[in-house]
Amino acid sequence: MADQGGSAHGIARASRVRTEEQRKVELDKIAKYRELEDQVRSSVARGDTGPDLFQLTSKLLRLNPEYYTVWNVRRRLLTSGLLSKPSAASSPLTASLTASPTATTTPPSAASSSSSLSATQPSHASPTAGRSGTTADSPVDEAKTSTADATPRAAAVVAVVAGQKKDFDILKSELEFTIPLLLDSPKCYWIWSYRLWLLQQVIDRLSVPVARRVWQEELGLASKMLTRDRRNFHAWGYRRHVVAQLESPRLGGGSMVEAEFEYTTRMIRMDLSNFSAWHSRSKLIPRLLGERGADDSTRKGFLDEELGLIREALNVGPEDQSLWYYHQFLILNLVNPVGHPTLTPAFTLEDRVTYVTREIQDIKELLEDYDDVKLIYEALLEYTLYLGQLQGRKLDGAEKDELAEWLQKLKKLDPMRNGRWTELERECGLVEMESFGN
Amino acid sequence: MSEKSKTLPQELRLATSVHVKYIQSLDTRKDEYEYWLTEHLRLNGLYWGLTALHLLGHPEALPRAETIDFVLSCQHENGGFGAAPGHDAHMLSTVSAVQILAMIDAFDDLEARGKGKAQVGKYIANLQNRQTGTFAGDEWGEEDTRFLYGAFNALSLLGLLDLVNVDKAVDHVVACANFDGGYGVSPGAESHAGQIFTCVAALTIAGRKNLVDADRLGKWLSERQIAGGGLNGRPEKKEDVCYSWWVLSSLEMIGKTHWIDRDQLIAFILRCQDPENGGISDRPGDMVDVWHTLFGLTGLSLLEYPGLEPVDEVYCLPKSTTERILGK
Repeated sequence: MADQGGSAHGIARASRVRTEEQRKVELDKIAKYRELEDQVRSSVARGDTGPDLFQLTSKLLRLNPEYYTVWNVRRRLLTSGLLSKPSAASSPLTASLTASPTATTTPPSAASSSSSLSATQPSHASPTAGRSGTTADSPVDEAKTSTADATPRAAAVVAVVAGQKKDFDILKSELEFTIPLLLDSPKCYWIWSYRLWLLQQVIDRLSVPVARRVWQEELGLASKMLTRDRRNFHAWGYRRHVVAQLESPRLGGGSMVEAEFEYTTRMIRMDLSNFSAWHSRSKLIPRLLGERGADDSTRKGFLDEELGLIREALNVGPEDQSLWYYHQFLILNLVNPVGHPTLTPAFTLEDRVTYVTREIQDIKELLEDYDDVKLIYEALLEYTLYLGQLQGRKLDGAEKDELAEWLQKLKKLDPMRNGRWTELERECGLVEMESFGN
Repeated sequence: MSEKSKTLPQELRLATSVHVKYIQSLDTRKDEYEYWLTEHLRLNGLYWGLTALHLLGHPEALPRAETIDFVLSCQHENGGFGAAPGHDAHMLSTVSAVQILAMIDAFDDLEARGKGKAQVGKYIANLQNRQTGTFAGDEWGEEDTRFLYGAFNALSLLGLLDLVNVDKAVDHVVACANFDGGYGVSPGAESHAGQIFTCVAALTIAGRKNLVDADRLGKWLSERQIAGGGLNGRPEKKEDVCYSWWVLSSLEMIGKTHWIDRDQLIAFILRCQDPENGGISDRPGDMVDVWHTLFGLTGLSLLEYPGLEPVDEVYCLPKSTTERILGK
């Protein structure tokens, strides 16, 4: 029920009245669509597994990429004949050895399926042809080098290699098929999900170095999608998944935390307001410091740098929520009442108090230029309360006066949330009659 | 509030009768291309439309017997439901099917003429990832907290929540929490109002609402209201009627609905109505659809707009339905 597909987002309301001519055109379009749909359905019902049905699904998905059942038809076609028999074993080479005899006899042949795939997508026809066997991308070259001197296993290896080559071509072609659809419908869950399934097939069926290269290219796609829409949460999620896979032993990977951290820095420099990038940064930092083997003073230096970065940003954009959330993330590290700070575990209580006090002071200075930005007052309120909690003390008279003043400002600047301010006023003991103490 | 609504100008009153007509018309638009392009959402659409009609006080506006027949015609042998006949079974359409049957009190028909409750429960339970506790949408494996919530929603309505490992699922939801108090699609993902609804509602169904950082989450959710009165789904994004549901229901579950301006939100939702042809859109002046129509109405219902039936903030069903089934 949380699915957004098919709903109209941001399309201007227009008259539903059509001319007779427009209606005819639409009816014709419907007839063609339904005919294609019927062809797919009856072909599936007949139990067809060949390239004809595959082409029909390409046509239908281009008209309607939300048609999840048709993506499933395509998956079944791939696993039930177009691709080599799946390998359950961790080594694709060994597993494909046993599967190759059937794979070679199962129609359609690699050549015919490959060409039928490219025939359905003219724009990608030449890249497909260009890949055949001679580029550095090809798994064949790799196998050739590893089996250069003919061993008794050579024949079997050749069969495996042919199977992997075929799978490689098909999977690459499939990945390319989804690109224009994704560019047109970047928020369509089904396309993203199909693509991830394809990439899983890449891991299951191809050798580690080949699979790794395919997955690496996915990072490029994630970046491209995020350049087009910096906040697309599908693309951010996809990126996290791709990175996790590239880091995994299955793809012979290692940590990419430095590179990903650097990526968030670039995205933030491009657009300070990109909370998705700040969020990603908040998730990477604990790992980054751990893997750097950062000692206490490096950690302190790191925190200082992050606070410097965000303060600089706040100086120019104090009305931006994204920045305040990241600031809050850093402050929570200091005031977290449960356990120790995670970024700077060696900080004493005194260090923590010093830092929070200094941040409060700096934020107060922001008021000199921006006395009508409500987020500044919110931060001051919140951090002052944190400071009291951190020190395990009640707020003093001067602090209470400040809280009362900030709350008055908030009520004036941000009346939408008056329910919240009034409640806070009571909780802070600023309303005499209903004091809850603190 | 009700005093105020009387003084609202005409265009800011709920156009109940045209909304009813709009929803009734949805299945008659077979001469529109869009109708055919959205078949993969048919069962979801029926749930959205029927719930909207119940909230509008016109539960009879869609014929009950035909509704049951259609729902059952979408069921597969394995117990799951597809979006329409000929479409594969999926968690999303299965949840819609259960919600529809719950709303029109037709679980008996599912037993007598369908594959039965137990089979539906089995289909859903099989989609749980036994290692992580989360749920996939179907056999192909896409995982998302939406599916986890859907599973909890449907299974608890069917009285079959014990078919799954609730504790593991709860652990998974907790792993999706962020420093800002919100929740994402999966561990590591950015907080998003839609996912927050699914996670908080799943924890509520599991009886583990205590795991929510209500104060921090409440602050984040209340900041979703922006100039113009509408709500957005993430920081620095545009407002959209559907967040009137995702944000507001979450605020309701943690008891903080009063942290936003109700009257301004009501006015925003009402400005998104198409007062002539019915339906509600994402923003004023945009094309309407049944999805935004439902979530505009559920928002208004939570805001106690006069004349609307109360909605259950956890199940997104009329309260009368959850009271009847769950004894809430």
